[in-house]
Amino acid sequence: MKKSSVRRVPARAAASQARSASRPRGRIHPVVIYPFRHPADLSHLDRLYRWIAELAAEPATYARPVTVVDRKTHHSMAGNAAYAGFRAETVGVHSEILDAWCVDTCQMWYSGLGQAYDRGDSDDVYWLIPGDFNYGSQVGQEVLSRLHDLPEILLDLDQDFCVGEITTDHNNPKQLIDTYGTFALLYTWFPREAQEIREYTERPRSEFFAIRHEFLGHILRQRWFAYEQTMVTLLHAVFQQKRISRFCVGQITDLHDGGETLASALQQVERTERVLKTLWRARHESDPGWIARYRDLERQSEIVRRTAQTLLQNLLT
Amino acid sequence: MTPRTTIKPINFLCMAPQAQAVSLVGDFNGWNPQAHPMRQGPDKAWTITVDFKPGHHRYAFLVDGALTLDPRAQGITRNDQNQRVSLMPVS
Repeated sequence: MKKSSVRRVPARAAASQARSASRPRGRIHPVVIYPFRHPADLSHLDRLYRWIAELAAEPATYARPVTVVDRKTHHSMAGNAAYAGFRAETVGVHSEILDAWCVDTCQMWYSGLGQAYDRGDSDDVYWLIPGDFNYGSQVGQEVLSRLHDLPEILLDLDQDFCVGEITTDHNNPKQLIDTYGTFALLYTWFPREAQEIREYTERPRSEFFAIRHEFLGHILRQRWFAYEQTMVTLLHAVFQQKRISRFCVGQITDLHDGGETLASALQQVERTERVLKTLWRARHESDPGWIARYRDLERQSEIVRRTAQTLLQNLLT
Repeated sequence: MTPRTTIKPINFLCMAPQAQAVSLVGDFNGWNPQAHPMRQGPDKAWTITVDFKPGHHRYAFLVDGALTLDPRAQGITRNDQNQRVSLMPVS
């Protein structure tokens, strides 16, 4: 059992408290990210869209859901009757399809959240729902019954960002990547912010989150990365003293879990480092003498990355 | 998604066998340490049952005056004093 320490109330948090009492309840904008690889077994997607249909039937609470489909996915399924049928008769019926060419998953987030933001109001919240999880399983259905908590926490408790955390054991590949890669690199490049992020979550790269209109507007106007955008958003939340919450959504796994290869794990560590370096430079390039500090951090970062690679190689092969 | 109408009794358990006094505090009682004192059972665990309305609630245990997170909580957030506290959904 941990004991909390008493902290000074930041000016933004105090302002947020004053806002909460008078703020009208906004609408929730669900944004579904369609799987990059259209699955042969549609049971999980079918269950997801039956649940999306329930959201779409409550227009006073939920804006019409948006589904982002990568054009590469669409073109790769040309002539596939099962895909075409599911798209037309299920996805397009219960949500608005946003077709977009995207370099990676987080660009799909950018397109979907950006479109929803353009249609939203200042009291609204935005809810990211990844499509490539096993929602058709018993545990997946339990998770679906909890996901609505993420945007509701923002509305009920006047929070700015709520990250959904998947429960995994310590030896799960995603957990290993986050422990030895993500957090080790975060502690190197942004040590103060990393400590605060870890007070909330062990999964700073979660694909489940909800975000308030004002904060999303701020994030959309920053440099957006094609990957690891949840970690970047958490860093901006700490930079901006935003109100963060974490909520456990359960033990769900993504559709390609178990197939986490060493190559994929190394790629995730490498791109995390690349994003953190870029973000650090963007925040410090106007500081006098920044390049010496940058090179020092880069040396440390390389050691951290190589150590993570060694550990992952030992554990994932 | 779930109709928000009924009041629900929620059981709280705090394992603090050496503590002299434990209470449940949160938005629901204005973070008042006197409002919901917990009782220690023969197994030394502190318990209390409180009725909650549907929604999301911030709370913590006050263990001998120290604000303490609930390790069984489903979430973490901050209260209006910007202290880390536990988060509970009631539906």
